[in-house]
Amino acid sequence: MSSWRSLLLRIGDKCPDYGTSSDFKEHIETCFGVIRRELEHSSDDILPFLLQCAEQLPHKIPLYGTLVGLLNLENEDFVKQMVETTQANFQDALDFGNCDMIRILMRFLTVMMCSKVLQPSSLVVVFETLLSSASTTLDEEKGNPSWQARGDFYVSCILSCLPWGGSELVEQVPEEIECVMVGIEAYLSIRRHNSDTGLSFFEDDDESGSGVVEKDFLEDLWGRIQVLSSNGWKVDSVPRPHLSFEAQLVAGKSHEFGPINAPEQPEPLSEVSGVLYGKQKHNAELKYPQRIRRLNIFPASKTEDMQPIDRFIVEEYLLDVLLFLNGCRKECASFMVGLPVPFRYDYLMAETIFSQLLLLPLPPFKPIYYTLVIMDLCKALPGAFPGVVAGAVRALFEKIADLDMECQTRLILWFSHHLSNFQFIWPWEEWAFVLDLPKWAPQRVFVQEVLEREVRLSYWDKVKQSIENAPALEELLPPKGSPNFIYSIEDGRERTEQHALSAELNNKVKGRQTAREIISWVEESVFPNHGWDVVLKVVVHTLLDIGSKSFTHLITVLERYGQVFARICPDHDKQVMLIAEVGSYWKNNAQMTAVAIDRMMGYRLISNLAIVRWVFSPANVEQFHTSDRPWEVLRNAIGKTYNRISDLRNEISSLKKSVVSAEAAAAKAKAELDAAESKLSLVDGEPVLGDNPVKLKRLKANAEKAKEEEVSVHESLEAKEALLARALDENEALFLSLYKNFSNVLMERLPDPSRARTLRELKSIQADEMTVDLDESSVMEVDNESRRPNKSQSNGGKDSNIYNVGEKEQWCLSTLGYVKAFARQYASEIWAHIEKLDADVLTENVHPLFKKAVYSGLSRPVNDVSSG
Amino acid sequence: MASLFKDLTKLSAYRDRRFPGNQEEFEQALHTSTTVYIGNMSFYTTEEQVYELFSRAGEIKKITMGLDKNSKTPCGFCFVLYYSREDTEDAMKFISGTILDDRPIRVDFDWGFQEGRQWGRGRSGGQVRDEYRTDYDPGRGGYGKLVQQELEAQRQLVDYGTGSLGSFPPVMPPPHYGRRGGHNQGGSHPQSRDYHHRKRHREDDRPPRESSKRTLDHESRRNFDPNSRPEKNPRFRESANSDDEEEDGGKQRP
Repeated sequence: MSSWRSLLLRIGDKCPDYGTSSDFKEHIETCFGVIRRELEHSSDDILPFLLQCAEQLPHKIPLYGTLVGLLNLENEDFVKQMVETTQANFQDALDFGNCDMIRILMRFLTVMMCSKVLQPSSLVVVFETLLSSASTTLDEEKGNPSWQARGDFYVSCILSCLPWGGSELVEQVPEEIECVMVGIEAYLSIRRHNSDTGLSFFEDDDESGSGVVEKDFLEDLWGRIQVLSSNGWKVDSVPRPHLSFEAQLVAGKSHEFGPINAPEQPEPLSEVSGVLYGKQKHNAELKYPQRIRRLNIFPASKTEDMQPIDRFIVEEYLLDVLLFLNGCRKECASFMVGLPVPFRYDYLMAETIFSQLLLLPLPPFKPIYYTLVIMDLCKALPGAFPGVVAGAVRALFEKIADLDMECQTRLILWFSHHLSNFQFIWPWEEWAFVLDLPKWAPQRVFVQEVLEREVRLSYWDKVKQSIENAPALEELLPPKGSPNFIYSIEDGRERTEQHALSAELNNKVKGRQTAREIISWVEESVFPNHGWDVVLKVVVHTLLDIGSKSFTHLITVLERYGQVFARICPDHDKQVMLIAEVGSYWKNNAQMTAVAIDRMMGYRLISNLAIVRWVFSPANVEQFHTSDRPWEVLRNAIGKTYNRISDLRNEISSLKKSVVSAEAAAAKAKAELDAAESKLSLVDGEPVLGDNPVKLKRLKANAEKAKEEEVSVHESLEAKEALLARALDENEALFLSLYKNFSNVLMERLPDPSRARTLRELKSIQADEMTVDLDESSVMEVDNESRRPNKSQSNGGKDSNIYNVGEKEQWCLSTLGYVKAFARQYASEIWAHIEKLDADVLTENVHPLFKKAVYSGLSRPVNDVSSG
Repeated sequence: MASLFKDLTKLSAYRDRRFPGNQEEFEQALHTSTTVYIGNMSFYTTEEQVYELFSRAGEIKKITMGLDKNSKTPCGFCFVLYYSREDTEDAMKFISGTILDDRPIRVDFDWGFQEGRQWGRGRSGGQVRDEYRTDYDPGRGGYGKLVQQELEAQRQLVDYGTGSLGSFPPVMPPPHYGRRGGHNQGGSHPQSRDYHHRKRHREDDRPPRESSKRTLDHESRRNFDPNSRPEKNPRFRESANSDDEEEDGGKQRP
C-alpha cells in the first residue's frame, strides 16, 4: 500500500503511520501534506479511495471532511468533482433505498458544509426535500401511510446530521434550520406511533397495561436532539477538527450541490387498514428497518454517564464498525475499543452488541458474528470486558422468563459457544438454585439447554468437569448420548425374533446388498410374516445403528438405503411413525435426532408436513415448555423449506438475466443474418441478393444456435418457475398446518379468554389461585394506570428467585412465544398466504391470545379485523 | 466485507500444489467454492462437534474428516461443504481462529473436495505439519512423527520398555498452552485427559482388540460396519492408498 493510502486509511488512529502523535490536527496536517503532493498525478485514485474511506469508516468522517476542506483550498476542481460524485452516489442510494449509504453520505455532506465546501443552504435543501417526501408519504391521498417506515427513516437521517453540524447550521442559517425543525415537529405530530411490540425483546413491554407509552425510535431521537439543542449543540462524542483550521477554511470556495430527487411515492391505498395495508407496511419495514432497539439491561448505576445524544452517537459508531469491518477481526475490535470519544463506554458497547445479537426479526449478520466480536473484545480488553459480558448474562438471565423465545434460543447458542472459547469457565454455583425450580421454569430450561449445547461443542465429561462448583447441576446435563438400539445383543439380553431379523438385515448390509434387494427381502419375507410395525422398527433401528458412528456414516446409509425407508413409508401417516422411531433410536441424543430427521427430509424420505405432525404429537407437545428438542426439529424443517424456496428464487432471478441476454444474442444474430441476406453482392460481376455463401452459412448457423439457446433458457426458466409455484403451494400448506396445530394445542390448554386476556393475566393465574380472595385486587393492580406493574415476573429485586407460574400456564406462555417467533421469522412468507390463513386458521373461534401472538409476530394491528 | 483492509481477490495464501489447473483457475475455484478446509483440529474432535459449530454459519451438506492414510484415524483436518457460498464465506470470516475442542482452528476456503484429499500427505500417514513438529501437542498425538521416531530409538537404547510413545508425556509441560484473554487458565490440564472416555459413549463400549486404545476408538468410529474390519469402510473403499506420490502438499498453510 502506498503511503498516501495508508495515511488516509489510518488517519485518527494510533498507528506507526502517524508516529507518536494522536492529535487529530497533526494527523490532518500530515495527511494533507502528502495528499496535496500526490493530487497532481494520482487524483483519479485518491478521489474514490477517499470517498470509500469516508463511507466505510464513518466515525472518522469529520477528519475526512476537514481534509477535503483543506484540499479545496489547493485544488477546487478536485473537490468539485468529489462533490459531484457524492451527489450522484447519494441520488443512487435514494433511488435504490440503500439506507446505510443515505445515512452516511448525509453525514459526509454535513461535515463538508462545516469545512466550507458546501453552502449550508444546500444542505438545508436536501433536508427539505427528504422532509417533504416523508410528509407526503403520510398523506392518504397523495402518499401511502403504510410506507411510514421510509418517511421515518428520512427524518431520522436529517436528525442524525445535527450532532455533526447543528451548531454551524444554527449559526449560519438560523431561519432555514428552524423551519426544518418545525417541519419535523409537524411530521412527528401526524405520523403513527410505532408500536411493533412483536419486535421487542421482553414480552411484557407490550402490555404493561399502564397508559405510559414508550417512545419509539424516532420520538426518542427527537428528544435527544432537543436536549442537544438546548445545550447549545455541544457534543463530546463528535470530533470537530475543522475548528482548528477555521481561519484557512473560510477562504474555500463553496460548491454547488446538484438537486436531489426523493424517490416516487408509492401508489395510494384505498384504505389505511386491512390486508393490503399490512402487507405494504411489512415490505416498507423490511426495506427501511430500524437499526437498533435498546436492550436496557444494565442498571443506571452501572452504565456510563453521558449526554443523551452521546449514547446515540456511540451506538451509531459501533453499528457502523460492526457493519463495515465484519471479516476484519483485528480492525473491527480495535475500532470498537478506540472510538474518538472522551469517555468510557464498555457497558454501552456490550449492550449495543447484545442488542444486535438479539435484534428481531433478524440481526444484520448471523449471530455467530457477534459471538466472535464479543470474544475478540474480551481479549482486547481483558481487564474490563469479560466482567461486563458476565454482567449482561446475569441481567438477561434474571429476566429470561420475559425474554422473547427467539432471543432465548439465540442467547443459549451464543452463551454456550462463548464459554466453549473460554475453557467453559462460569460460576455455575450462582445458578445452582435452578434445581429448586420446577422443570418448566425458564431459568432452569436455559441452564439445561446451555449445558446441552456445551456438550455438543465439546464432550460430556468435559462439561461435567466444568460444573464442578455446582455438581448438583449434573442433573441437568443431557444423557450421555449413546443410541438406544433395541436389538443390541451385547448385553446378553434375550434374543427375540426381531433380533434375528435385525441381525439378518445387518448381514445383508455388510454383504453389500442393494436397496432393491433389501426391499424385496422386506416385502417378501418380513412384512407377510411379521407385519408393518415390525418392519418399521427393524429397518429403522438396524439401519440407523449401522449409520450411528458419525454424521457421514448416517449420510452413507441414507444415500444407499434411503429407498428402503421411502418404500415402507410412502405417506404422511407412516412417515410420522418413521420419525417417531428415529426419535426413539436417538432418544438420548437431541443433536442426532435433529440431524437424522433433517437429513431424511433432505433426501425427501419424509415431508415437512410429516415433521410438523410429529412435532405436535402428544409426546412432543408435553415437552414444549421444558426442552428445545421438538423446536429444533421444527426450526430445521421450516428453515430447510425456506432455503429451498430461496434457492429457487435465486436461480429464477439469474435465469431471468440469462433470458434477457440470450434474447439479445438471438436478436443480434438474427439481425446480422437478415442484414447479410438482404445485402447485394457481386457474383461474377452480377449483383446477387445475399452475402457470400460461406459467411451466410455461418451466420445462419449462429442465428439458429442463438435461437436454440434462447429457447432452452426459456424452458429452464419455465421449469424452475413451475417448481417454485409448487414449492409455494407446499409452503402454504406447511404454514396452514403449523398454525392449525398451534391453534389446536393452545385451544386445549389456554384458559377461557375471559380469564386470560393478556399474557400477564395468564402468568398470574396460579398465583391468583393460591390467593383466591386477592384475585380481584391483583387484576385491578394490572389495570391501574398510575403504577407500572413490576417489570418482570422474576425480577423483583432480591426475591428474584421466586417463580410461581404454573406448569400449564408456562406451557402456554412458551408455546405462544414460539407462535410469535415463527410468525415473525417467516413473516414475508406468511403474508403471501395471509388470506388463506385468515380464512382457515385465524377465524372468529381462535383464542384471542393465539391470534394476538400471530398478529404481533407479523406486526399486524390486532384490531385490524380483516374480513378477507 | 470491508474492502479497505482486505484484498478481496486474494482469498487464501495457501496454494494446493495438487490442484489440477493454473493459478487463475485455482483462484476461480476458491471464489466459487462452497467448501472450507479446517485445520489445526484435535485428532479427537468428532464430526458431530464440527457439525454443531459449523452449522451456525449455515446448512451443512457434507463433512469429510481428514484421515491418517495408514491408520485411517482422524489426523487433525477436515472439509465442510455448504449449500451456499454466503454461508461458506461466513464460516471463513466468523469461525477461523476461534476455539473448537480447546484448540484455535483455522478455516480457509478450499477449492473443493475430491476423493483422495481426505488422506494425510505426510510420510508417516498424517499431515505434513505433524511430521516435523518438535513441540508436544497432546491433541495431535504428542510429538511430531520424526521426533517420536527419534525418541523411540533413544528409548530402545536405554530400554525403557514398551508403550505408545505418541502419548508419552513430555518432561516439561508444553510452554504456551494458555491463551491470551480475560479468563485465566482453568479446566483440565490436557495431559490429565482420559482419552478413551472422552468421547461419546457409543464409541467407547466395545472391547479392546489392540494395544493402542486410542487407535482402536477411531478405527471403530471410522468403521462403517461395527463387525467388519476397518478396511471395509465403504466411504473410502475405492481409493485407499491411491495418493502417496508426493508429500509436499501440506507444507503449512499460513
